[in-house]
Amino acid sequence: MTTEGLRFPNGTTVVIAVFLIALPCILPSLTLASEILVLATGALSCTLLLGSVGLLSFGQGLYFGLGAYVSAILIRDFELTALAATIVASLAGCLLAAAAGLLIVRRQGVYFVMLTLAFAQMGFFLALAFPRLTGGENGFGNVPRTTIAFGQFALSNPLLLYAFLAFLSFAAFALVQRIVASPFGSVLNSIRYNESRSEALGYDARRFKLAAVTMAGGIAALAGAMNTLMLSFVPLSAIDVETSERLLIASLIGGVGSPLGALIGASVLSAMSDFLSPIWPRWSTIVAVLLIVTVLFLRDGLLGLGGVLRRQGKEMPNG
Amino acid sequence: MAEILLSAQGLGVRFGSFNAIEDLNLSIARGTLHSVIGPNGAGKTTLFNALSGTRIPTQGEIRFQGHPITNVPAYGRVHLGLSRSFQLTNIFRDLSVAENILLALQAVAGREAWAFWRNRDPLKVRKKRAAELADTVGLSARFEARAGDLSHGAQRALEIAMALASDPKLLFLDEPLAGMGLDDVHRTKLLIKSLAPERTVVLIEHNMSVVLDISDTVTVLAQGKKIAEGSPQAIRTNVEVKNAYLGSAA
Repeated sequence: MTTEGLRFPNGTTVVIAVFLIALPCILPSLTLASEILVLATGALSCTLLLGSVGLLSFGQGLYFGLGAYVSAILIRDFELTALAATIVASLAGCLLAAAAGLLIVRRQGVYFVMLTLAFAQMGFFLALAFPRLTGGENGFGNVPRTTIAFGQFALSNPLLLYAFLAFLSFAAFALVQRIVASPFGSVLNSIRYNESRSEALGYDARRFKLAAVTMAGGIAALAGAMNTLMLSFVPLSAIDVETSERLLIASLIGGVGSPLGALIGASVLSAMSDFLSPIWPRWSTIVAVLLIVTVLFLRDGLLGLGGVLRRQGKEMPNG
Repeated sequence: MAEILLSAQGLGVRFGSFNAIEDLNLSIARGTLHSVIGPNGAGKTTLFNALSGTRIPTQGEIRFQGHPITNVPAYGRVHLGLSRSFQLTNIFRDLSVAENILLALQAVAGREAWAFWRNRDPLKVRKKRAAELADTVGLSARFEARAGDLSHGAQRALEIAMALASDPKLLFLDEPLAGMGLDDVHRTKLLIKSLAPERTVVLIEHNMSVVLDISDTVTVLAQGKKIAEGSPQAIRTNVEVKNAYLGSAA
């Protein structure tokens, strides 16, 4: 993303806020709107890594799953309220990402990607190997609809649940915008452009990457916790590699040039799933085509569509 | 004798079975302009990479101000007072000249680079310093221009400004004149000359007339080994150098 001169809050912040408020009004169901929020927040962790530092993670599903399980266990077995469980789950995501990151950031390029994938696979098999903790293939069920905090605001009210998820999601988007527009963000940006040059200037690229990986882990875990609040249940699929894949695809289709891309990508993906799956069970084929088109022709994702069309228009005679 | 700022003892860099640098001893005196010359493939850039920390040597020891720094990575050496420019222009093309220099200044501004909770509002002091650096290398007029849009010579100048941003005690310049037009060569030559004796400069350069004109000491490398060292006058008349280097050009 071109981030120089970027400030926070800015117009995009307003657009995101309006988008989150408008979603349940436009869409036929609150469930779909909530699904979009969860997917968007998870995709945001990929956008942060890829868009700012240029790191491709195939393993954000690991932290998503961790956040989902941790929040579920805290709410069901330790009777924590939703806000407390969400915060603890996010911190757990940061911790795990920092620990895995210590190893992962030692490698670059393809090897980095492969390590993220390996860690994600390991997480899945660990979840499968400890069914007493995670429910294994049956999933982790019976998570009660708790209250947001202090026994106030019961999440059994679907509109309140959406409002709370939207609040959490907005907090994550604001955080990413805050990071990108900060001095720290300018370093991440410089590492993405040219890592060796950044090091020659005196930046310890590995430490900055580790910090970004840690933050992204926290955001993915937050999305996982939101998923638990939404479903009252953690399916084993919350931690599988397909989840990692979905988060990455949503961020790529939307475009990693701005946090807004994660929201757009997640909306398109969730809406397609909702509308098309009853009509055509193989609807994912369309996602594949969309991804191919995006990668080949829309490097900035759907976010960059406007710019591409404008340029096309200029090149057309009499256009 | 002048104080030795940087020294290398028995330095070796090996790529597989190929010795790019072999058993090299080098002493750089503080405040001097020390050039390293040699034919293509002599190991000059490899030597620079080892001295500036981009490549950890396979043998030997490097000392800076008496302290061993052999295993200190490149970013760490910047904070000790070493800085470098690159042979192939290595700037942030999509950022402006000002942003390139500010990024370099921010790298040595303590914890500033870790601030993630506020916007990028560089202090007036730092903006002023960035403008001064641009002025030093003759880029004042292009301060807000996109770095990728600059002429080749101006990009080379920006390289030097970024290397100077950390206020280094020792500056490595890797072929700063490469590909420059005549006007730029003259201006850059004066700029490099003006850096010493306040700073120590180690220079790799192919332009022999400039090297012999402005250097205090010249080290000649051939096939990874030091074959001569001395004042420009001594190098000019050295028979071995003529054979290995000047002779090949004639």
